Amino acid sequence: MSKQKGPGLLLIGVGTMLTSMTVAGFGLGLFVDYWLDTPPLFMLIFGGLGIVGGIIKVHGLLSKLG
Amino acid sequence: MSGSSDGGGTVAYIQHHLTNLCVGDCDPVTHKAAGFWALHVDTVFFSVALGVLMIVVSHRLGQNLVTGTPGGFQNFVEMIIDFVSGQVKDTFPGHNPIIAPLALTIFVWVWLMNFMDLIPVDLLPLIASGVLGIEYLKVVPTTDLNTTMAMSLTVFALILYYNFKVKGAAGYLKMFLFHPFGKFFVPVNIVMTVIEELAKPLSLGLRLFGNLFAGELVFLLIALIGGTMAVGLGALIWFPLQVVLDLGWLIFHLLVITLQAFIFMVLTIVYLAMAHTEDH
Repeated sequence: MSKQKGPGLLLIGVGTMLTSMTVAGFGLGLFVDYWLDTPPLFMLIFGGLGIVGGIIKVHGLLSKLG
Repeated sequence: MSGSSDGGGTVAYIQHHLTNLCVGDCDPVTHKAAGFWALHVDTVFFSVALGVLMIVVSHRLGQNLVTGTPGGFQNFVEMIIDFVSGQVKDTFPGHNPIIAPLALTIFVWVWLMNFMDLIPVDLLPLIASGVLGIEYLKVVPTTDLNTTMAMSLTVFALILYYNFKVKGAAGYLKMFLFHPFGKFFVPVNIVMTVIEELAKPLSLGLRLFGNLFAGELVFLLIALIGGTMAVGLGALIWFPLQVVLDLGWLIFHLLVITLQAFIFMVLTIVYLAMAHTEDH
């Protein structure tokens, strides 16, 4: 019964993981664009990576359920 | 406050209740923060007051501990400590004496701040405006994004600290370089891992804020049923409806505030546990 259940508990936050990674991606891209004066290049690239990363993360967490 | 039956009065009522007591760099018309040096005094006051309440009650209980047959309150506190301690044991690998007290503090403090949502929405603002002449007062600290993001950024700082401490600078950097797509996609891996790390405090803070803000808004809308529609005989219908809806939402919201405090605590433990393990 002493088995660690930490990673499983991450499922609590799985609902907001996809959205928060998307927002973080767009936010980071916006910051880099502001810094390098290249809008909207990095916002789109990092936003896309955020969406893809969010899907991978959520899929990885949910596939542990099955 | 909510006597007007037109849309303007309703909107003004809601906006008034969702406006903080701002001091410093604030907009003179909207009373919202207009720059970095704006301070939400009500948020600071209520969060610090609840923190002090927690410390005083814990201290008094600590002074009067009974070993034989403890009283009801001591039993209740011991039950909470056992619950949090059990969560930490189940989730956290190894031993770090800071994690359990941190988790307990987060759980109790967030719960107390959330609990302010259950106090009738007009009560404290009315007392503040009537007795102290304070025009704006938002009593729930967790409906202010500044509170929830400050807490989540503190947790994020701890995550970074333990990542560096346990994995070392090289080990932590390696995670950014080779996770999740391996050694052939280093630039993508760096961006992806940075996004993943930034998403942690963002989701922690926004989840708590969103849930509590929405809960507060529903309480305000229920309060408006009686305030804007109860005129003459109509009050016989609308007032009982308001009471029933308010009671129903209050009972449901009691579950929500406990759940949100629990989620914030558990995710903090899990993120810190991940920072303490060698693999990602």
